[in-house]
Amino acid sequence: MSELGGSEYDRLFYPFLFEGGKASIEDVLAQVRHSTIEKCHEVVALRRATLEQFGEQIVITAQAMAQSFANGATLLAFGNGGSTTDAQDLVTELLSPPFPDWSPLPAIALTNDIAVVTAVANDVGFDNVFARQVIAYGRPGDIAVGISTSGNSANVLAALEQAKKQRLQTVALTGYNGGKMMRSQAVDFCINAPSDHIPRIQEAQATVYHALIEVIYAVLKSIKEEQSGEHEIC
Amino acid sequence: MRTETEKEQLHLRALVAARFEQSMTIPEAFFTAESAQIAEACWAMARRFHQGGRLLAFGNGAWATDAQHVSVEFVHPVIVGKRALPALALTNDSATISGLMSGAESTASFARQLNVLARPQDIAMGFSPDGSCANIIAALTRAKHLGLLTLALVGGNGGLLKQRAVAGDRLIDFCFVVPTRDPLLIQETHETLYHVLWELVHIFFEHEGLLNE
Repeated sequence: MSELGGSEYDRLFYPFLFEGGKASIEDVLAQVRHSTIEKCHEVVALRRATLEQFGEQIVITAQAMAQSFANGATLLAFGNGGSTTDAQDLVTELLSPPFPDWSPLPAIALTNDIAVVTAVANDVGFDNVFARQVIAYGRPGDIAVGISTSGNSANVLAALEQAKKQRLQTVALTGYNGGKMMRSQAVDFCINAPSDHIPRIQEAQATVYHALIEVIYAVLKSIKEEQSGEHEIC
Repeated sequence: MRTETEKEQLHLRALVAARFEQSMTIPEAFFTAESAQIAEACWAMARRFHQGGRLLAFGNGAWATDAQHVSVEFVHPVIVGKRALPALALTNDSATISGLMSGAESTASFARQLNVLARPQDIAMGFSPDGSCANIIAALTRAKHLGLLTLALVGGNGGLLKQRAVAGDRLIDFCFVVPTRDPLLIQETHETLYHVLWELVHIFFEHEGLLNE
């Protein structure tokens, strides 16, 4: 990871940056252009690694999720910080899909209701903000999706454990080495973006859940075709 | 001979591989083409923050979540040691938005929020997948008139916002067009773009002399 406070690369190639404010704007802009390309290459490499290590797992996970949706599941998604916005993004893409041949599917983001989040956090503690909502909304056969760049977020893990107790299907999207969620018995499916840089992990996770959605719709289509075929035979 | 199940697995595996492949080629093309504009935008944003400006972000649908994402990056940086910078997502206030949307001028919702909240030294960041969302154009137009720095993160051919970026009135200071019509790819590339803008704005704070230009 090249950090701007002075990575080895920066010190080698841009020594003027560390000479006490003598840098010219041209030099700094050149450094920023270089870092931009470097960060792009980082996310491309991470997506390749995620595909290689978890491509099969994405298919298996999406097939299981599609079967749950076909049985009437609602998806509950949750995470903290940027991962919350990714959970909200996953939900809105299911509720209001970007392609006309994808029909809307029921989904709820557990950070949308700030009254509930602050009430639970204030009364019981922040570790319970998602678990409490799983208790309220979760039905057996629903899908719980927890997003955590470390794989260790206490409130996300607690909600996945609660979901498992209530017989929901549980999916975790993680980073680093997958953390506790990768090893948890409460997690049915874990897909990891193997990196230690949070912005890149989130960008790779976006591709992961976009791929999940794409496969879910492909599987739902073939389930529908099978069912209509059966009806014709009858 | 393969069974139907095996064929289905291969088909699904190919779908995943194709989506990941596009998610690798589009950013490669985009960032190679745009690195110079990104560097200039970081400098311009750093100067606004140095003057006490804030980032005000807005988008529709899935991009509402990106407005919130870019804001949280600035306000609470995940990288230890980076300073907190002020940023607001206009999409968080569902009471105000739904109130404005129910009125006669629903396309003016973000513009009206800016009217009340924006200060001249602020930065407006609008997301529009086709570059032609009416409420985003209205908001960025308002932002420009109020003196804000204006950034548009768009896709496709850039739509009306790209035209307004190059036209005489220069409504948009920085217009970033992700060259694809796939909304999922546009959004993923926007995510890397605003992460990079956030990560690299901080370089300029190490060179205070450059912030007063």
